[in-house]
Amino acid sequence: MINIDIGATAISILTLFGIYSLMSISLNLEYGVAGLPNFGKALFISIGAYTAGITYTRLLPLLAGAEAIHPCGPTMGGALQLRSEIMASQPIAGFINFALTLVFAAVIADAVGFAVSYVTLRLKEEWFLALVLLVGGETVRILVRGADDFICSHNGISGVAQPFFFVADPRSRALLFMLLSLALALLAYLCSQRLYHSPFGRMLKGLRENEEVTRGLGKNISLARAQIMAVGSLMAAIGGVLFALNTGFVNTNDFVVNLTLDVWVMVVLGGIGNNRGALLGALLIAIMDRFAQIGAIVLNMGGSEIEFNYVRFIAFGLILLWMLRYRPSGLLPESRLTTDAHDVVRRVIGASK
Amino acid sequence: MTPLLELKNLRKDFGGLRAVDDVSLTVPEGAIVGLIGPNGSGKSTLINLIAGSTDPSAGQVRFAGQDISDLPSNEVFKMGIARGYQEPALYFKMTVLDNVLLPVKDQRGERPWFAPWRRFWQHEESAHAEAAVQALEQVQLLQHYDTLASDLSGGQMKLLEIARCLMGKPKLLLLDEPTAGVAPKLAYEIFQQIARLRDDFGITLLIVEHRLEILFDFADYVYVMHLGKLLAQGGVDEIAQDAIVREVYFGE
Ligand SMILES: Nc1ncnc2c1ncn2[C@@H]1O[C@H](COP(=O)(O)OP(=O)(O)OP(=O)(O)O)[C@@H](O)[C@H]1O
Ligand SMILES: [Mg+2]
Repeated sequence: MINIDIGATAISILTLFGIYSLMSISLNLEYGVAGLPNFGKALFISIGAYTAGITYTRLLPLLAGAEAIHPCGPTMGGALQLRSEIMASQPIAGFINFALTLVFAAVIADAVGFAVSYVTLRLKEEWFLALVLLVGGETVRILVRGADDFICSHNGISGVAQPFFFVADPRSRALLFMLLSLALALLAYLCSQRLYHSPFGRMLKGLRENEEVTRGLGKNISLARAQIMAVGSLMAAIGGVLFALNTGFVNTNDFVVNLTLDVWVMVVLGGIGNNRGALLGALLIAIMDRFAQIGAIVLNMGGSEIEFNYVRFIAFGLILLWMLRYRPSGLLPESRLTTDAHDVVRRVIGASK
Repeated sequence: MTPLLELKNLRKDFGGLRAVDDVSLTVPEGAIVGLIGPNGSGKSTLINLIAGSTDPSAGQVRFAGQDISDLPSNEVFKMGIARGYQEPALYFKMTVLDNVLLPVKDQRGERPWFAPWRRFWQHEESAHAEAAVQALEQVQLLQHYDTLASDLSGGQMKLLEIARCLMGKPKLLLLDEPTAGVAPKLAYEIFQQIARLRDDFGITLLIVEHRLEILFDFADYVYVMHLGKLLAQGGVDEIAQDAIVREVYFGE
């Protein structure tokens, strides 16, 4: 038998929950609210992770006043040691580096998300965008993988430590990172709730339901869609930064189509168009992920030959099929949109009575 | 004086089919103009051409002296042309109020960087909500403001569509069978509402309608289409008496 440390398990599940929430909320804005099937989630998440890979190897030494060492090849070990030392001893440099990583990742993902969708959506309809992103995501991954010198794509970059790495006690360190990821997820949730109930959200729901009519009512729909893709991509990239920091590792192998599908399972499971549903989906998948890992360890220790990753795939596939067949609107279906204006009208009517 | 709307030799081909064939017509400001013709004669296609939902194969659409032939429908709407659809095309999953608020032009809260911060647009949205109260009152839908559009009756849907157009403050309103699928008594009431739009707000109207007896009570001028071409035009009495129209339209 193995001992499960309940505290550590809870912390790791909640940390993952925060990270997954950023991803699922962003897909919910794009697909659930605006109707854009973004099959390139992994691409935008990877932008965040690659950005972290670059800042940790180039910017961090600079911030700490040290000389950067080329992160790949023969100097790999020295570079890793340098960034680990900085992260352990210079928290301020670590935090500035972290903040700048978020900013760079957000700006880059924002621009890419906007540009790709604005161009493709003006040419064709939304399923074309889905294809472009699906194929484009994998193409970018392979290209990045080929550009080895940049983020050591063949070996990956390790030592991408979370900003609380300087805290000596591992439990508190993990706890602080958990709080950080939950705080960013909360921010994303509040932002998307506000967007949902705003005139912008109303317009997005309008073009999800009837694109032609919405254009006919004076809306620039390619612009609106590119805008929500920019917002969603930004959130996904921030999720990607945290994703890399959580594993401490940047590796192109993590950003394959499977990751995109994971995020889709979260949204379909939780409730398409409902931000709370996206949170619920993220939580359930985080829990399943953790227990799948524990299950894999238990099984392998018992001498089982089953590769647990495949069990996970099959389980996710079944969940997706079952949900689409029996609960297409998810565990928490979308609520009826009532914008603030309804309160105003209620007041006006009340006053005239 | 230039007419508000002017179509010059407008043509639309769908593959081999010429749905609109060399149509020229004018709609003067402040008029209620009817557009009639048998099924498939090209009336809805003509509305689509004016509204920018589809581009003409040849010819011109001029609005207030400007060539708008190639403008996309969102630009056409912003210039002051709103339209209704033959099949109700509401946002059925939204409330009546959200349906009418959506078309308001230049909303601050529609910009993503303002949208999360309510204080940037709340004031404006309240003003729009009050305008929406007026528009909904106009069509007697105010008490249904938080009903889903899908829960309205057929007649109410047609009225909501008109109210939604009004929120865009149009100069010209194109209506494609505003009484389709509506009980006769309500149909007459809908036309009374429409006439009030002209009388109270000075909105010019181009109306496609199959119920000639009602249309003829309200229209100033009528165009008749047949197989994509303009067959006849004139005042209501003239058209009602026109032998060719009677033959094509009523099969008499
Ligand atoms: N998008 C399209 N593609 C191909 N053909 C079309 C298209 N839209 C309309 N048509 C054809 O063009 C002709 C005119 O159609 P339109 O809908 O304009 O007629 P209408 O006068 O509005 O008829 P109704 O009174 O039945 O509404 C018809 O023959 C129709 O089949
Ligand atoms: Mg028609």
